[in-house]
Amino acid sequence: MNRNSTVSFAVPAATFALIIAVLVTELPPGRWPHLPFLPGRMVLDQIGFAFGTAPRIAIALVAGAVLGLSGAMLQAVLRNPIADPSTLGISSGAQLALVVATIFVPDLLVHGRWPIAMLGAACAAAIVFAIGPRRAFAPVTLVIAGMLVSLMSGAIATAITLSQGEYLLSLVIWSGGSLVQQDWSGVRSLGAVLVAGLAAALVLERPLRVLSIGVGGASGLGLNVAAIRFAVLAVAVVLAGAVSAELGLIGFVGLAAPTIARAIGFNSLRRNLLAAPLIGALVLSVCDSLVILLDARLGEMFPTGAVTGLLGGPLLIALLAKLQGSTPPGTENAEPAAARIRHPYRALLLIAALLLVGVVLLLLIGRLPSGWTVLDWEHFMSFLPMRLPRLIAAGAAGAALAIAGALLQRLTANPLASPEVLGVAGGASLGYGLAVFATAAPSALMLNGATVSGGIVALVLVAVFVSRRDMPPERILLAGIAVSAFASSVLAALMATGDPRAWRILGWLSGSSAAIGMTGAVTLAAVAASMWMAAAFAARWLAIMPLGAGVAGGLGVNIPRARLLLILIAGTATGVATIFVGPLSFVGLMAPHMASRAGFHGASQHLHATALIGTCLMVCADFGARMAGFPYELPLGLFASLIGAPWLMATLSRKTG
Amino acid sequence: MTLFRIRNLCVDVPGRRLLHDLSTDIPQGTVTALIGPNGSGKSTLLKTLARQMNGSGSVIFEGRELSDWARQDFARRLAFLPQNMPPAEGMTVRELIALGRYPWHGALGRFGPGDHDAVAGAMLKCGVENFADRVVDSLSGGERQRSWLAMSVAQQAGTLLLDEPISALDISHQVEVLSLLRRMCHDQNRSAVIVLHDVNMAARFCDHVVALRGGRHVFEGTTTSLMQPDALGEIFGLQMQILTCADGTPVAFPT
Repeated sequence: MNRNSTVSFAVPAATFALIIAVLVTELPPGRWPHLPFLPGRMVLDQIGFAFGTAPRIAIALVAGAVLGLSGAMLQAVLRNPIADPSTLGISSGAQLALVVATIFVPDLLVHGRWPIAMLGAACAAAIVFAIGPRRAFAPVTLVIAGMLVSLMSGAIATAITLSQGEYLLSLVIWSGGSLVQQDWSGVRSLGAVLVAGLAAALVLERPLRVLSIGVGGASGLGLNVAAIRFAVLAVAVVLAGAVSAELGLIGFVGLAAPTIARAIGFNSLRRNLLAAPLIGALVLSVCDSLVILLDARLGEMFPTGAVTGLLGGPLLIALLAKLQGSTPPGTENAEPAAARIRHPYRALLLIAALLLVGVVLLLLIGRLPSGWTVLDWEHFMSFLPMRLPRLIAAGAAGAALAIAGALLQRLTANPLASPEVLGVAGGASLGYGLAVFATAAPSALMLNGATVSGGIVALVLVAVFVSRRDMPPERILLAGIAVSAFASSVLAALMATGDPRAWRILGWLSGSSAAIGMTGAVTLAAVAASMWMAAAFAARWLAIMPLGAGVAGGLGVNIPRARLLLILIAGTATGVATIFVGPLSFVGLMAPHMASRAGFHGASQHLHATALIGTCLMVCADFGARMAGFPYELPLGLFASLIGAPWLMATLSRKTG
Repeated sequence: MTLFRIRNLCVDVPGRRLLHDLSTDIPQGTVTALIGPNGSGKSTLLKTLARQMNGSGSVIFEGRELSDWARQDFARRLAFLPQNMPPAEGMTVRELIALGRYPWHGALGRFGPGDHDAVAGAMLKCGVENFADRVVDSLSGGERQRSWLAMSVAQQAGTLLLDEPISALDISHQVEVLSLLRRMCHDQNRSAVIVLHDVNMAARFCDHVVALRGGRHVFEGTTTSLMQPDALGEIFGLQMQILTCADGTPVAFPT
């Protein structure tokens, strides 16, 4: 306790010192303008100080607090320790709206970015909420729907960015979240939002605490569960939306702040709601101060919002060991399981047969400049060497990612777990990015080597972490997310330099199977198949692990070893798929949900169904990516989301049970 | 024969000691009831015996120190059923019970005829056949409890550690489950240690009683010696009256 109070004094003091250092760097103290700031009485650098540096420091504190509060509320209401403002698609909705407006109706932006971004955030939230009421805003349903919206808008925004080329470079910076300010208006509006949000949080604190005893108990105490959840979510949406509108995407603070607060002992809801904004403010402020100091040295403009992971990632990992376990998600059974399939293995065979037929059809159909056609033998044979490898690669990558997702979701009993939370894809991307930037003309071998080593380093880090004793699954997820956030921060910083090489990375990040050759495709397929088999052999663990450590230990499962092996299988599958087709989020996260919504529940049938669905999705996505923009190619990830998301949305909003 | 030989067992969680220097012997081939007021450390003791929690001191199970047992051998000899059963998403009763065979076939071994027989036998004994193909999470509390119990039975371990196995059952199923445990112990020389709240049930179905209070061992002995006003008064801190039924069974209730 004593040490905690020392820390809680030292950290704000250090932050304050840093802020002073920034102010002194910008302008010697003797020349600081006096309050109130009146531009008429200042010289140029004083005006820059009073209306640039000072509000920027203020807005970092305010925005960090807003994000921390939003994250704390979301984690409480969704009962998921890895929920954050991006979980409900809020930030990416805002981003998509801005991208669309900038390209198609730039006139709309004359009133500033606020209305557009808020509209986007509201639309995203509206889609998610439209599904909510049926199930009294049950956390699992909301979280899946939110991730769907988030992935879809992200994919569309990236596709538009890519197709428009340089025009949107400024938006890339926007999506990184720059804190540069020209006056105090941003601070004022976000400050107002923060005050309102804090007031709302304090009002909602008690009902939220009642809600934490579970739906049954809470409604027994006379709580309108759906209304309270809606209110909390609405407040969180407005908070996160306001930051998105004002500053752009500021990642990770919303997730890290409440988690760090819990890790250093602010466990109860009220203390967490109060501590998370403070910690968020400190984290963002320290990041931004460091960015300002770096900018001054290097003359580059780094988007603060994108590099929060550089500081927050390691910080979160360092504190994870102290984190107390929290309520596991998914204990509320509001989402009735889909009816089980009567003959699951027959159904699986059917899917596999359809997949085969589909592949043959896709190989036969072609689009020539004159229109659609069934290829004749000659064309078929001449296209085959080009088409077959990418079709195999896409399908195998789909299977590999889907398997990784299924393993992780069962291992952690968390529906939000997906391959990228392992950090493997993040590490691989980082390796790729560094190779692109560090060498003048990287060869394919060099790129692959760098990607592989990045992925392996990340996997080893996570595996070391997992193999420590008594590691609750929650910490595994958070560790992976921290690694990913760190990696994507570095990438974002690289991209923000505006270097043309950034496009290459952005293109790779959205996924493509275009460049793959037959050797690569077969390698990928072989690895995917062996991981599939390995996972099938582990099916019994997959059935037991979701029941928790108590039951698994009682049955004699060697839990650390089972966890490590499952993580290694998932990591290898993710890494290999990432190397060949880029980091794709959708398949790994959603294919397991699609399989269970379709009625595959037993551990091993669920695994096979997930893998097959992943394969189907990616094969279709590959076809779509090739054909839709003919003769140009669109990103694979976009198509996987576009095909899968509506279907999953439909099954979620369907009444079952 | 001694099943568990417990010496100077202490269990601590940060900031609190849950079990204080506990020493007792739990006999083999009997049903042992673990009783005591709320928060007396019953579940902690059971979890420690099941190796779900660690303590200091010595616990010898079937002649071997607890920590010396290999994981799989231990699970074949001892089945543990926690008090709060986790949600078993999408799993049917039959699938859940089949998980109880894990210690025998392991991660890769074949699910053979012996395993099928064990599952069928457990379902029959626990009376869950009628809803064997329903999803566990859709069952009533009592049905769910019996399904989990059947999983432990299917484990075919010589020792069953059950934390409040009848808390959600109606009176007839309570009697049925406790009779089943008693039969299994007496006929097949197995042992059971069960946390119970109802002293009358304990007196009627158990052979041996260990009582805790505030993390300390306050009583052990036969059910006859338990059913005395003094003993019960010391355990629960409450004046109890003992009546004797026509068949000689003692019944306790608070005065």
